[in-house]
Amino acid sequence: MKKVMVGNHAVAWGVRLARVEVISAYPITPQTQVVEKLSEMCADGTLPARFIKVESEHSAMAAVIGASAAGVRAFTASSSHGLLYMHEMLHWAGGSRLPIVMVNVNRSVGAPWNIWTDQNDSLSQRDTGWVQLYCETNQEVVDTTIVAFKLAESLNVPVMLMLDGFYLSHTAEPVDVPDQELVDRFLPKRVATYKLDTEQPHAFGALVKPDAYMEMRWMQQEAFRQVPEALAGIEQDWARMFGRSYGAIESYRADDAELLLVTSGTVTSTARAVVDARRGNGEKIGLLKIKMFRPFPTALVRDALRGVPRVAVLDRNVSPGHGGIFAEELRSALYDLPDAERPELFGFVLGLGGRDITPAVIDEIIEQTRAGTVPSREDLWVGVNP
Amino acid sequence: MSQVRIDKRIPQGKLVASGHLACPGCAAPLAMKLALNTLGSNTIVVMPASCFTIIAGPWPQSSLQVPVFHTAFATGPAVASGVRAALDQQGKHDTTVLVWVGDGGTFDIGLQSLSGAAERNENIIYVCYDNEAYMNTGIQRSSATPWGAWTTTTPAQFPEASPKKDMLAIMAAHNIPYAATATAAYPVDFVEKVQKAKAMRGTRFIHLLSPCPPGWKCGDDEGLELARMAVQSRVFPMLEVEHGQRWRLTMYHVGESVEPYLRRQGRFRHLSAEQVAHIQAGIDARWAQLVKRVEADSLVGV
Amino acid sequence: MSESMPTTPGPHAVPQVAMSTMSTLATRTGSWKYQRPVYHDRVAPCNARCPVGIDIEGYLNLLREGRVDEARDLLLQENPLPAVTGRVCHHPCENSCNRRALDGAVAIHAVERMMGDLAHQRPAPVFKGTPRAERVAVVGSGPAGLACAYHLARFGYGVTVYEAAPEAGGMLRLGIPEYRLPRDVLDRDIARVTAHGVEIKCGVKVGTDVPWSELTSAYEAVCISTGAHTSRALDVPGENLPGVRPGLAFLRDVNSGLRPSLGERVVVVGGGNTAMDCARSAMRLGAKVTVAYRRTREQMPAIKEEIEDAMREGAEFVFLANPVEFREQGGRVHAMVCERMALGEPDASGRRRPVPTGETFVIEADTVLTAIGESAALQNFFTDVEGSDAGLRVDALGGTSRNLLYAGGDVTDLERTVADALGAGKRAAIGIDRHLRHHAGDTAELNALRFADGNLSAARWTGRDPVRRTAPVNDVVTPDDVNYTQFRRAPRHGDPHLPSAAAVQSFDEVNPGMPEAVAMEEAKRCLNCGVCIECDVCMIFCPDAAITRTDGGAYVIAMDYCKGCGICAAECPRGAITMTQDRP
Repeated sequence: MKKVMVGNHAVAWGVRLARVEVISAYPITPQTQVVEKLSEMCADGTLPARFIKVESEHSAMAAVIGASAAGVRAFTASSSHGLLYMHEMLHWAGGSRLPIVMVNVNRSVGAPWNIWTDQNDSLSQRDTGWVQLYCETNQEVVDTTIVAFKLAESLNVPVMLMLDGFYLSHTAEPVDVPDQELVDRFLPKRVATYKLDTEQPHAFGALVKPDAYMEMRWMQQEAFRQVPEALAGIEQDWARMFGRSYGAIESYRADDAELLLVTSGTVTSTARAVVDARRGNGEKIGLLKIKMFRPFPTALVRDALRGVPRVAVLDRNVSPGHGGIFAEELRSALYDLPDAERPELFGFVLGLGGRDITPAVIDEIIEQTRAGTVPSREDLWVGVNP
Repeated sequence: MSQVRIDKRIPQGKLVASGHLACPGCAAPLAMKLALNTLGSNTIVVMPASCFTIIAGPWPQSSLQVPVFHTAFATGPAVASGVRAALDQQGKHDTTVLVWVGDGGTFDIGLQSLSGAAERNENIIYVCYDNEAYMNTGIQRSSATPWGAWTTTTPAQFPEASPKKDMLAIMAAHNIPYAATATAAYPVDFVEKVQKAKAMRGTRFIHLLSPCPPGWKCGDDEGLELARMAVQSRVFPMLEVEHGQRWRLTMYHVGESVEPYLRRQGRFRHLSAEQVAHIQAGIDARWAQLVKRVEADSLVGV
Repeated sequence: MSESMPTTPGPHAVPQVAMSTMSTLATRTGSWKYQRPVYHDRVAPCNARCPVGIDIEGYLNLLREGRVDEARDLLLQENPLPAVTGRVCHHPCENSCNRRALDGAVAIHAVERMMGDLAHQRPAPVFKGTPRAERVAVVGSGPAGLACAYHLARFGYGVTVYEAAPEAGGMLRLGIPEYRLPRDVLDRDIARVTAHGVEIKCGVKVGTDVPWSELTSAYEAVCISTGAHTSRALDVPGENLPGVRPGLAFLRDVNSGLRPSLGERVVVVGGGNTAMDCARSAMRLGAKVTVAYRRTREQMPAIKEEIEDAMREGAEFVFLANPVEFREQGGRVHAMVCERMALGEPDASGRRRPVPTGETFVIEADTVLTAIGESAALQNFFTDVEGSDAGLRVDALGGTSRNLLYAGGDVTDLERTVADALGAGKRAAIGIDRHLRHHAGDTAELNALRFADGNLSAARWTGRDPVRRTAPVNDVVTPDDVNYTQFRRAPRHGDPHLPSAAAVQSFDEVNPGMPEAVAMEEAKRCLNCGVCIECDVCMIFCPDAAITRTDGGAYVIAMDYCKGCGICAAECPRGAITMTQDRP
């Protein structure tokens, strides 16, 4: 069934198809349409979930933690300050190994106030023990929401989905809504590995002393190590049933490329157009889309970038005092490559606070990358005149 | 008629195991024992950060023989809302969800989520065991610390300068089905309130005065007597409020002078006669207000 | 569920989440303690203060449990005359009752009376110990003699009581008016004593009808309990005028059925029970009565209820009035001159001493009854027996200075009350038994027979005490030891009274007695001071859940988990738990 819908509604459809049992959320621009749509669905019975309309994002995450701990499939959505307000409980969900799925509509962080997109909100939560997946299209949002639950529940890790504020959240695209029966076969009702159960009473999350805390963190790390393979397997199933898949990373027209653009989120679509145009001119320019930021797909990006002469990383985020966050992660991932195979990496910080990233901006990045002789440690701030 | 207050109405159970890590004389595990054995094994406990995080025992042990979810400080009512929702989704409507929180987690950091849960009338029982300071971290003041009290952050030279927040009135103002004060020192009263709460649906709130010998600077065996003195001197009246409207005293309050109650606790030892008189005047004023608020027949002595 | 949880590899398998798999029982928090609770039963003040040595707490507890016959039997182990003491005892038990601090002493006397009357309707089986060859003579059948005879009979001895009066009972019959102690009640209690095989020879005055030497040769032991029958003189002018007479003689007449003529105005001098008996008896003979006492009401030695009854029935009281002269008119007394007294420093009895003020006043009287005390009028029973004006001197077991001659009751220099006499008779019985058995016990052994420093227990002496106590400690529970908050207020049940106007018209019993059901409820007011009655308070309040109750009803404290906080001891309603730093 094809429907035209904005990204936020695509989230709601994914939640509905995944037969989420408990939702808790607090409204924040630009996520509000998610909670509005889910409220409608719960009200009209198309989604028989309990929607707990809490008084804060901190409580929203706490509530889905409670629900998930009691064994059901639980979901929340937020953005920006809301996500940051959840921060403590993101850790608690990760450490509790609860398969919660949440959507974060990427929005910049104040001060000053700004409601438009960048990735600093979610990237600042990278160490909370959540899988992070950045989506490019509304179709990907619907599909990934469902896939995320399967991934989360297979490894007892929470998964966070990102879509760019307004560029995706409020942009209508045609979406092929997956068939419910097929989704049910793909994602059966959750069977919890452990839960709050009065028949088998256990306490969860009590004080753990130094003799075991580290082991539990090791187990968490171990689960994250398994995520790429697990995601690949799940996507394979998804592809077999629905004919679509996305991958933790995606190489686009990257064969024999002399220059690869690295993107995440909606800027990927703009970059695809630029790459197509350049390829039309015979230029050996390609694209690497990074969908999964945590766990960082180190092995995959190493293979994808091995031997590529020049790489331009487009970061819609910044770690003040360091640089673009994807660029830093990539530098770290590529460090082990032999000198001859290690690309020269150029980092570009751009699009912060919702500033448009047009094809012209990407063209400029390509030219700068081509011209650069020494990769800049200090990432280049595109569009900012010093 | 039995002449003793304690009789077989106190449910005996084994839902709290020995070997927990409460300080000697702590009233909190006693209250937990009374509450859990009254609620029974079909209960799930949500436990935000508090002394009880430690009392309940370190992993892999647990003193409580019911499911427990330990959680972050501010989140008791929210986590409980989620647990409740999940249980309802699984058809387990008769399982009780009990939030067990200290005064810091209730009066201070958890007040927002508690207010949210109460406003939504979440079907949970919330017990605040109030030892009147952040005891687990070493006796720092909270907004439950009474005026004039010493704590490590309100030294005797500059003791607590704010009166204690009126938590029961705050909760009653949410018009929840049931809000009550209690103390384990009056176990029959407490158990009856838990039973009453259990029989209702919606948000039920019980505010327990829970003596802390190290924090109150009293003898290990004195806490319960002090709690009774707090009640009888009307520092902490025994009340219940139904639907925010029907206020009732649940026992006769003698109206003893507050001074002996204060003098027996090291945390009040520095108080001057004028300060004690000030405290007494505050109690008397609050009582006068309370008398107007409660149903007249509940004022009658027994 | 937990089996499916992934863990770290290797022997130290840590699961992926912190999920509990065991209780805290593995943590022996009992190692924290520096003191530990011990169940120590202690002595209730009523038991310690009972001159008879009755296990009051014990029988009240049996009543609470509904074990009425066992309660009766326990009472009768110590007291042969409960229907009597339930009416006339000055009940120091109640005066020391720890419930006074809560809502009034337990009305022990009323419960005891109910039990005494119940024992008439449903008598206890007669108990007789292994028969002994020795025989004992008891001289005098007042409460001391009856008690001595009763206990000796129960110890297995043949006992003969010699009574000078035509009927047994001594002062119970001759001194106490019928409105306080109906004669049929007294008869039934005495019948219990004779039912035990005691022979009472009435109308036989030893020393006159039978020589003392005959007793000492015919019996292995003799107990003297002849009482104190001589009214003390005032030693003031006019004391021998007609119309001035000893109150005791007046009572003896009345109690023998005579109705002496008193005139209109009767003055009673004195503040003791004899004075009250005189006053109330005189009112029943139609007189208008004034009681003159040289101290104030607070110092009156009479039983409080007797004073109240006398006042209620219309007696006037003039306090701080000391007779200094009786005035004559027409050949008999017509007025008493009194000196106004004031209260000075406490005297030997602890009461404030009356001191003269020099001021005098006059009370008109047709008859004056003096009741300022009695003396034993020691006949020289045996020249070698030590004694004084106050009476014979006896040791802790009633022994006089002469071998195998014992004494008890008003004839000795000890307290002169019915209860003290009953207790003294029991002591003498135990003394005689101990001597005749050649039992050589030490003081500690004797002390083990006592409730604290109270009287000896016959039940303990015979080894037939049915009440088991936990590691008993022989100290008395004080109000400080009682946790009053554990008790509901339940006011004391009052004694019923005939209306005073009707009461003074006859010698019928004024107090018809508490109904049995009410007395049973009153018994439940007992705090059971110092005695564990398995109320569960310790178990309920233990914050460490370390106290459990065995099937047998006893409590077990898991020392592995008891942190020694002392809450059980503090919360115990009755002081039956002690904290100790001793090693177990």
